[in-house]
Amino acid sequence: MNTSTGRRVATYVLAALIVLSTMLPLAWMLISGFKGKSEVVKTPFQFFPEIWIWQNYVDILRDPAFVQAMIMTFIGAVIFTLLSLTVNSFAAYAFARLDFRFKRLWWIYCITPMFIPGMAILLTSFVVVSNLGMLNTLAVLIIPGVAAAAQMFFIRQFYLNTPIAIEEAALIDGASRWRIFWEIFIPQSQGVFVVVGVGSYLAYWNAYVWPILTIQDPGLQQIMQYLAGFRSERGNEWGLLMAGSTLAALPTIILVLIFQRYIVNGVRLAGMK
Amino acid sequence: MTMSPQTTTHMGTAASVALQPEPPVKGRRPRKTRERISKHLMANRTAYLMIAPMVILLGIFVWWPLMYSFYLSTFEISFYEDPVFVGLQFYQYVLEDPQFWRSIGIGAMYVLYTVPAIMTIAFLMASFIRTCGVKLAGLLKTTVYIPTVVSAVVASIVFIFMYRADGGIINWLLGFVGLGPFAFLSDPNLALPAISIPGIWLAFGITTLIMLAGMYDIPQSYYEAAQLEGANYVQRTFFITIPLMKNVLLYLLVTATIAGMQQFELPLIMTQGGPTNATMTPNLFIFNTFKDPTPYATSFSLTAALILFFVLGTISVLIFRLIRSDKAIDA
Repeated sequence: MNTSTGRRVATYVLAALIVLSTMLPLAWMLISGFKGKSEVVKTPFQFFPEIWIWQNYVDILRDPAFVQAMIMTFIGAVIFTLLSLTVNSFAAYAFARLDFRFKRLWWIYCITPMFIPGMAILLTSFVVVSNLGMLNTLAVLIIPGVAAAAQMFFIRQFYLNTPIAIEEAALIDGASRWRIFWEIFIPQSQGVFVVVGVGSYLAYWNAYVWPILTIQDPGLQQIMQYLAGFRSERGNEWGLLMAGSTLAALPTIILVLIFQRYIVNGVRLAGMK
Repeated sequence: MTMSPQTTTHMGTAASVALQPEPPVKGRRPRKTRERISKHLMANRTAYLMIAPMVILLGIFVWWPLMYSFYLSTFEISFYEDPVFVGLQFYQYVLEDPQFWRSIGIGAMYVLYTVPAIMTIAFLMASFIRTCGVKLAGLLKTTVYIPTVVSAVVASIVFIFMYRADGGIINWLLGFVGLGPFAFLSDPNLALPAISIPGIWLAFGITTLIMLAGMYDIPQSYYEAAQLEGANYVQRTFFITIPLMKNVLLYLLVTATIAGMQQFELPLIMTQGGPTNATMTPNLFIFNTFKDPTPYATSFSLTAALILFFVLGTISVLIFRLIRSDKAIDA
């Protein structure tokens, strides 16, 4: 009895330590946003503000450039996620369920990009999109990343594990491939779509280097671009910067909290063994 | 991390599936079923329509840039004359450039600072979470996952703030043990370790979850048997957990090493490669060279990127082959 109580306490203490140390940078970012301009860099150091003020959060939300960056990034991320799910799940279905000529060849063509590091094509991708006249458009942020080999692979893996019997019955009843895809596969794919969709959303939301290469138009500025720019131009306004960073990180964290069950399962879904 | 939209970075999970062997459709199904399926599934037109968007997009935004990189790395471009084929000359220039080698060394140091730490922390955390009850384990899994979704930009900004001499929490904490204050990001000896900390923080969560998934796959009965024999935690770890998770651990080690060699956004934002180039990682070196507008610099940086790609790509393909063939023997 005694040892098991001790064990329980030790478990909770350790768990609390893990949570605290993991969340420390984020917590401190949040708290610093509540500090006044001089207090935020004050010596001697103080963890909590003397007076909690909302001013930084209010001020950053009154900055039209910040709000616009948040909105533009959100719109882009939603379109990106939807397009990405569509394109990749179509291809995934074809590779999982259909037989066609040169399948093996197309498979290699579609899957190899997974192993090509971003840097090997980042610079020439920039040249390509500027030749296509795509610079400073929403399209340049969205279109180049839509087709993603890893996402396609992940969805296909899920389709391969989907029982084939229902589909065969539907085929015998004369349903077309498209109907089978829409009416049998899509409804079953909720879980895998959430995992892959969250991944796409995060990749878009957190992107920094691609936006700084391709976007100069302030109207299209992305949130991470805004934050990094703020940091180099107004780097001493730490309270404001921390408030902005908190608000910029919030949507991604909320997304994870909403879909946590899917995501944690998703890691297992990946079939790592 | 996220360099262009092409990299689905944070999804270590998605990348991890690369491990899976080729389509199980072929081998695992009984032969008879397979023939039946392949006959009635022959659907060229539908299939081509379905893969067309992906094929076209990858063609324009991945294959074309890749081919173009190869082209630029073997031709000397100038504003006044036609491109001249120079063969492997740029490769020679890059390989003879001391700055390139220095950046490789810095990348390797960064790997050394981060990868063992990530692996150890993740292993210990996963071992611990495995022993927790369902609810607590759920909470911990979500918590450790959260840093993974924070962008490198936000992490960089927060850590710059945390490293400050005035009001920086890290110097404050070190003050309790009588150390500091340190100017972490402007001291050439401290800058690289200092950017490694956010690197570890961003990566350990997903590593923990993947290890945990591997641990859950080890039958509980092995541990029970070992416990009956009187094996302690260390023995169980070294004789059961680690050997049975060899592939997962190797996979994580390789992906973390490759990701570490390519670290780019943290030094870009936190130190711009400085002080005195002490944090000039290979990709940052390539990126900075590219920003120099001369055609020579463009070809030079692309060639450097390709060399890195060859080396890292070869390493990962070899290791994954190894894992796969090992799997085949197990099965």
